[in-house]
Amino acid sequence: MFKNYLKIAVRNLLKSKSFSFINITGLAVGMAGVILILLWMQNELSIDQYHENKDRIYAVWNKAVFDGKIQCWSVTPKPLAAAMKQDYPEIEQVTRKRGADGLLLTVKEKKLVASGSFVDSNFLNVFTFPLVQGNKNSVLKNMSSIVITEKLAKRLFGNEDPMNKTILIDSSDNFTVTGVLKDLPNTTDFAFDYLIPWSYSTKLGWDDQYWGNNSVKTYAELKPGVNIAAFGNKVKDVTKRHSKNEEDVEVFLHPMAKWHLYSSFENGKIAGGKIVVVRMFGLIALFILVIACINFMNLSTARSEKRAKEVGIRKVVGAGKKLLIGQFIGESVLLSFIAGLFALLLVQLSLGAFNDLVNKQLYVPYASPWFWLSAIAFILITGLLAGSYPAFYLSSFKPVSILKGTFKSSGALVTPRKVLVVLQFSFAISLIISTIIVQKQIVYAQQRQSGYVRDGIVYTFLKGDLEKNYSLVRNELLSSGAVTSVTKTSAPLTEGWSNSWGIGWEGKEPNSKIVLDRYVADNNIVKTAGFKLVAGRDFDLDAYKTDSLGIILNESAVKVMGFKDPIGKIVKDNGRDWHVVGVIQDFILQSPYQPTVPMVIEGAMGWFNVIHMRLNGANSATANMAKVEAIFKKYNPAYPFDYRFIDEEYAQKFDGEKRTAKFVGLFAALTIFISCLGLFGLAAYMAENRVKEIGVRKVLGASIFSITTLLSKDFVKLVVIAILIASPMAWYGMNKWLDGYAYRIQVSWWLFAMAGFGAIFIALITVSYQSVKAAMANPVKSLRSE
Amino acid sequence: MIKITNLEKIYRTEEVETVALNKLSIHVKEGEFVAIMGPSGCGKSTLLNILGLLDDPDAGSFIFNGIEVAHFNERKRADLRKHNIGFVFQSFNLIDELTVFENVELPLIYTGVKPADRKKRVEEVLDKVQIMHRRNHYPQQLSGGQQQRVAVARAVVNNPKLILADEPTGNLDSSNGNEVMQLLTDLNEQGTTIVMVTHSEHDARYSHRIIRMLDGHTVMENIMV
Repeated sequence: MFKNYLKIAVRNLLKSKSFSFINITGLAVGMAGVILILLWMQNELSIDQYHENKDRIYAVWNKAVFDGKIQCWSVTPKPLAAAMKQDYPEIEQVTRKRGADGLLLTVKEKKLVASGSFVDSNFLNVFTFPLVQGNKNSVLKNMSSIVITEKLAKRLFGNEDPMNKTILIDSSDNFTVTGVLKDLPNTTDFAFDYLIPWSYSTKLGWDDQYWGNNSVKTYAELKPGVNIAAFGNKVKDVTKRHSKNEEDVEVFLHPMAKWHLYSSFENGKIAGGKIVVVRMFGLIALFILVIACINFMNLSTARSEKRAKEVGIRKVVGAGKKLLIGQFIGESVLLSFIAGLFALLLVQLSLGAFNDLVNKQLYVPYASPWFWLSAIAFILITGLLAGSYPAFYLSSFKPVSILKGTFKSSGALVTPRKVLVVLQFSFAISLIISTIIVQKQIVYAQQRQSGYVRDGIVYTFLKGDLEKNYSLVRNELLSSGAVTSVTKTSAPLTEGWSNSWGIGWEGKEPNSKIVLDRYVADNNIVKTAGFKLVAGRDFDLDAYKTDSLGIILNESAVKVMGFKDPIGKIVKDNGRDWHVVGVIQDFILQSPYQPTVPMVIEGAMGWFNVIHMRLNGANSATANMAKVEAIFKKYNPAYPFDYRFIDEEYAQKFDGEKRTAKFVGLFAALTIFISCLGLFGLAAYMAENRVKEIGVRKVLGASIFSITTLLSKDFVKLVVIAILIASPMAWYGMNKWLDGYAYRIQVSWWLFAMAGFGAIFIALITVSYQSVKAAMANPVKSLRSE
Repeated sequence: MIKITNLEKIYRTEEVETVALNKLSIHVKEGEFVAIMGPSGCGKSTLLNILGLLDDPDAGSFIFNGIEVAHFNERKRADLRKHNIGFVFQSFNLIDELTVFENVELPLIYTGVKPADRKKRVEEVLDKVQIMHRRNHYPQQLSGGQQQRVAVARAVVNNPKLILADEPTGNLDSSNGNEVMQLLTDLNEQGTTIVMVTHSEHDARYSHRIIRMLDGHTVMENIMV
């Protein structure tokens, strides 16, 4: 029986080649899209779920009330870990981590900067990062030990055994490799190439016992069986107690299982996070699969007349309905199996590009039996989804009418097919609208005034001898003619590294907790950045020595401080009095989608990490950079000259949204492609079925144009209905998405009109090939067969 | 074998009601060869469909082999059909995607005969209808007469008690037609009951009895000598 089915299925596939081609292509493309999304989802869902003690590991978070709203954040004070371990017997161990980026690693002639972290020595006991060499209990015990990943080992030592070799860090301290980590899997949010002991950061003077400085991550591993609700209640006041009520901050524990997907907090409660995106893409995957399956359903039922005779005969010779259903479902499973193989091929071919798009290292786990099991399940589900409706439809034919030749698929049967086409195009059009809106939102934010002149600013980090030689470097840069202005700052102009609710001023409400962004610049910051000065002047240390305790405010800061005449007013921060020398227009420091916040720029008494330079616009950038590089090489020879352009860094602020746009656009294109493929097939059958009607009309004098219109009209109607369904759906969904942005576009009606006309245009092109072909056919041929 | 009494079948469309069978009563004994004749639209095909359990009557009784089957559901009818009844159609109705052998094999598959037995049985009947040499051809590669012989082979492969033939020679030239009629006669002589709908007086003469129908009921019966 099965053999018989298989035989007839294969012969049917080969016989109607265009039908098989359309079906297999549509299904394969759809399945490939779904597999890519599933791979991505699977990866998202498994991020950091592999740690042995994940059920007992918690990140320590803070929350506090600002402006009547509870804010949550994940960085904590440095003394918190020790205090928790000491106070609570429920805790097995606590470990801390902070970034050690920017340190220069030197092995003989090789110098490179990699991504590293300072961690407590028990870090590898808490988290599961297997060591290829070394013992996890002792690798980080010694202050001058370093643990590196296999990849970094390869970069630094080539094929030599890295164990016990020496790495010079920041040209000042020698570290011995005590362990080699297996490269981090693609299922972790942790990102480091090396780990160095916390004690080294203490030696560098980067450690402190201040409860108000939230700058490191703290992780707690609880003992087995601890009731988390009760313990959470117990631990929440630890910061308050230890800071003697100076920090009005509550501590809470965020379980590891939720780190990746549920880390968005609203008013102190989990309000989703990445899970929203995962769900959305899951939905898109389902849509695509359904759309691909709809093609199969529509084409199968459309050509049912061709299969009707077979159904009739089989019934007459004794096949029951069940057997026939089995046969047709078997056929669709075979088809989806073939499509599945092509889909895998497509996935393999497109995975690289897809990985670039989603910024991940996904791979198809060919070696995993689970993968093959799910692949088989996926194929079966697809086959069932696609095949069940046609199977019931075809198997319910009455043999009497078929075999007497009076069988005609009736008008009413067309309705479900129309519904399915409308459904397909509704999905496709919603995705097109979404793509346009995401795109518009990006352009809108890109065109927003950033508040400074981004072009021609270069920055580099203040490393090695640069701090010591800064004046020399600055003078030489300025006199070289390559640079017109140089400023040391606390952070790049595109990133805010510091904020505080502890900044005070004359007339501030004692209990108010207004958070201000804090930025530091030594000299000429307005000139270097190109800020717009609205009052006062730039920092000018050459003319005013006291500018080292000067401060520049942005307009929002002036507003919250309530200064009528801000110049000369005193602002208190970090135990110092800063006098206001200037006011600038707000500029975008962080997200271009959010409103600008109150901000202070403190003078040269602050701390510095970055040197910004405005290049001389009279020369070419290459010529300027050659000179600049020579100067940095001269004064900081141990370090490679690593620089970035502000305009490029600023452009990166849009990467996430651009990626979303590409992702949605890609899947919009996929759905349109699959839907049109189906429409093309349907149009072919429609033209075939109406060949006699067309012949008669032509004999009676109809023009080719009028017949083409007649045949295309029906499909255009369906697309128009789809537009009516898709528009409110997309409008609702995209408004929700835009609600996440303070600085956003309004969705206007012409977007829908544009997407609608686009869809009609595409559908017309798809259908008209068949329509024109049918209309051009010689009527003599079609009528002779009578 | 077949006893129908006061059988009625009415086709309704939105505007028209057509009485296809009007209180029809017919009796066919086992081993008989009966021809049904009448003008187009007299209800003979409807009758054949009901006899073949492809359609159900609106009223009346249909006793097949001593069992009342008039109100059997589709599953029961299919079951009874596949074990007892073979069909031969005017337009042959072979499946184009299957070879001669596979077409004839089909009823055996549905009745669950084992592959080895199937092969033997199919070869036997193909031999009998003298089409064995074309067993691996597809229907389109055969002449009309050959196709109808395959259809007859398919109808008898299960050894049915009853063969229903709907104008079996309608699409054939006279020599091919005669061959098919001879085949049916041979089967009848071996004990198979045959009910045949035909327009052809010539074909009807092969039967034992001719039932003439008009407007859904019988008007005359001729016993052939």
